[in-house]
Amino acid sequence: MGGSTDVQLIVDGKRVDGRTPDEMRKVRMEAGIIPEADGSSFVEWGGNKILCGVYGPRECIPRHGANPYRATIKCRYMMSPFASAEEHGRSGPSRRSTELSKVIREVFENLVVAEKFPNTQIDIFIDVLQAEGGTRTASVTAAAIALVNAGIPMKDMVSAIALGKAADVLLVDLGKAEDNYGQSDVPLAMSHKDKKLHLIQMDGLLTKDEIAKMIDMAEKASDQLHEEQVAALRRFYENGGNESFKW
Amino acid sequence: MTDSKDTIMAHVRREVMNKTLANGIRFDERGFEEVRPVDVQTNVITTAEGSAVARIGKSAVLVAVKFDVVKPFPDRPTEGVMMMNAELLPTASPTFETGPPNEDSIELARVVDRGLRSAEIVDVKSFFIEEDKVLGMFLDIYVLNHAGNLTDTAALAASAALLDTKMPKIEDGKIVRGESTGPLNPKAVPIATTLVKVGENWLVDPTRDEERVAETSITITTTKDHVCSVQKRNGSLTKEEFLSNIDIAFKTGNDIRKMITR
Amino acid sequence: MDKKIVMPGEKIADSRIRAPNTFYEGEATFATVIGTLDETGRYIPLENPYKPQVGDFVVGMVVDVRHAGYEVDLNLPKGGFIPSRDIRVNLQLGDYVVCKIKLVSEVGDVDLGEVKRLPMGKIVKFPPAKVPRLIGRKSSMVALLKENAGGDIMVGNNGYVWISEKSNMPLLLKAINMIDVKAHTSGLTDEMAKFLESSR
Repeated sequence: MGGSTDVQLIVDGKRVDGRTPDEMRKVRMEAGIIPEADGSSFVEWGGNKILCGVYGPRECIPRHGANPYRATIKCRYMMSPFASAEEHGRSGPSRRSTELSKVIREVFENLVVAEKFPNTQIDIFIDVLQAEGGTRTASVTAAAIALVNAGIPMKDMVSAIALGKAADVLLVDLGKAEDNYGQSDVPLAMSHKDKKLHLIQMDGLLTKDEIAKMIDMAEKASDQLHEEQVAALRRFYENGGNESFKW
Repeated sequence: MTDSKDTIMAHVRREVMNKTLANGIRFDERGFEEVRPVDVQTNVITTAEGSAVARIGKSAVLVAVKFDVVKPFPDRPTEGVMMMNAELLPTASPTFETGPPNEDSIELARVVDRGLRSAEIVDVKSFFIEEDKVLGMFLDIYVLNHAGNLTDTAALAASAALLDTKMPKIEDGKIVRGESTGPLNPKAVPIATTLVKVGENWLVDPTRDEERVAETSITITTTKDHVCSVQKRNGSLTKEEFLSNIDIAFKTGNDIRKMITR
Repeated sequence: MDKKIVMPGEKIADSRIRAPNTFYEGEATFATVIGTLDETGRYIPLENPYKPQVGDFVVGMVVDVRHAGYEVDLNLPKGGFIPSRDIRVNLQLGDYVVCKIKLVSEVGDVDLGEVKRLPMGKIVKFPPAKVPRLIGRKSSMVALLKENAGGDIMVGNNGYVWISEKSNMPLLLKAINMIDVKAHTSGLTDEMAKFLESSR
């Protein structure tokens, strides 16, 4: 956020990739693409490619980490070394991926009916294969599909979207340039039935009014994303699998 | 490849498999030298200079190729560098754990690397840019789904990814991302063939069940006319068995190579 | 599909009804797992980890032999337990068994009884939510498989299926996989009968 202001982020009301301020990038969602996993999903969102695998409920390791009242939810968000269009990155966790793993986990700690499986663990594995701004929101959206595919009970469906501000215009679904050079970045995860917020982060400077407007924009986007998630899951169950899936 | 935590997913005992094999077929009705259906998709990761996902049966491996400008090794100042790393994604199997590379993922990377290096797929001298600057070619092997025989699947993805790779444009000692000077054009396309022995029978392209009960496992990587890498894992072979397996590896290698070079 | 597919968080009834995998909010009932809802309002999960119930028949493998009893892998986060005093035969590591669930504790401990050791064979993993389809109405599907397979089959509610080594294993494995992929379709039993006929 807030890098060089030489980059023209809005020209004649259009964004760098030609979108209007309230337009989302193209998304493609698929469920059940990893046969070994209990649940899985693949989300392609603009230039982002996210793979999510879910296992559980399964034995809690280490044993002493087990909670006698509910399942322990674990989440690992990882950026691949080839995900950036720039340099080859290093393998392994970073401070950023550790933080994102935590805030993504907290979304599902709210929604998963964990009391049903005491002394167990539910693993959410997120691998970003390609990154182009908005990987954490695409990850939440993918993880929700994978958890449903695994039959893990949840109180609600959830999806996420990054709102933002660039050149003083409020935007939906920040792309990479807007993420890097815009004035503000607000990732939000919103559940479908209750429209509650389960992930809220922001940077930059915003008025309360701007934030309120962004939440309204997020609600609209969240309904669209929900439709895609449901369509992906429906396709999987109606076709009895996802044999024809192409990466 | 052994699983570190082996709970029964699809457990079978050697005696039971031997009985089925005695009838000349395997559990999935394949012949002993038959490979499962092979599928390769290239240009899957557009942020990489080359990529491919290879599937053998339900096993799936992604390989991405990326270039960076790096410092050469001090003892080879005019040569480029090729580095390979493998990740057994915890998504790919309930038996894969998070954490640093273990012996299985390290062996996988090194075996695939050895095949490519011996086959001299690229002339690393052509990666020289200027003093203290060479091209580093990084291959990342990402195992996406484990249904047995990850080695052959990974090696196939690597060869296919290299065939898909475009050389980056270099200006003032820096890579200009998004622009290329043409395909990498690897000089060879090595294909790995893994065989396991169950009872008296050698089986090509083992499933997880077969890997689990096999007494012996060997991977032979071949180019059109040469063996370029061999890795025996558990067990032992006679000279005759080894030579016979080499014949099988050449045949399988040639069949599969035709699928990705057209 | 004439049945509607419902998602977690979707309302399945305007009143409080008793159904597994649901929760109440106000006077309505909501789904927690993906499932089908038919015209009569019946909600059936499409995907569900197995939740052990007293009285269920389960198939498993002995993974630990202790003085007090045997631990059995049942495809659950924790193994099931056969107390030594409840069984007359001696079991060994790796034995396949079919048992009845006698007790399920609050923390997920499962005690097993009525243990029968199964002969040599293979265990296949099958999605627990689709087990009813594998058994079939009045056991029609599993009977069809047994008739044509040449050997015995034992389907556990826990999603482990034992097939006898005396059976035509490759054919059975193919048939079981077909049921997994086509569980949601109608006329599957007839389709299976035709498939098994043509494979003779």
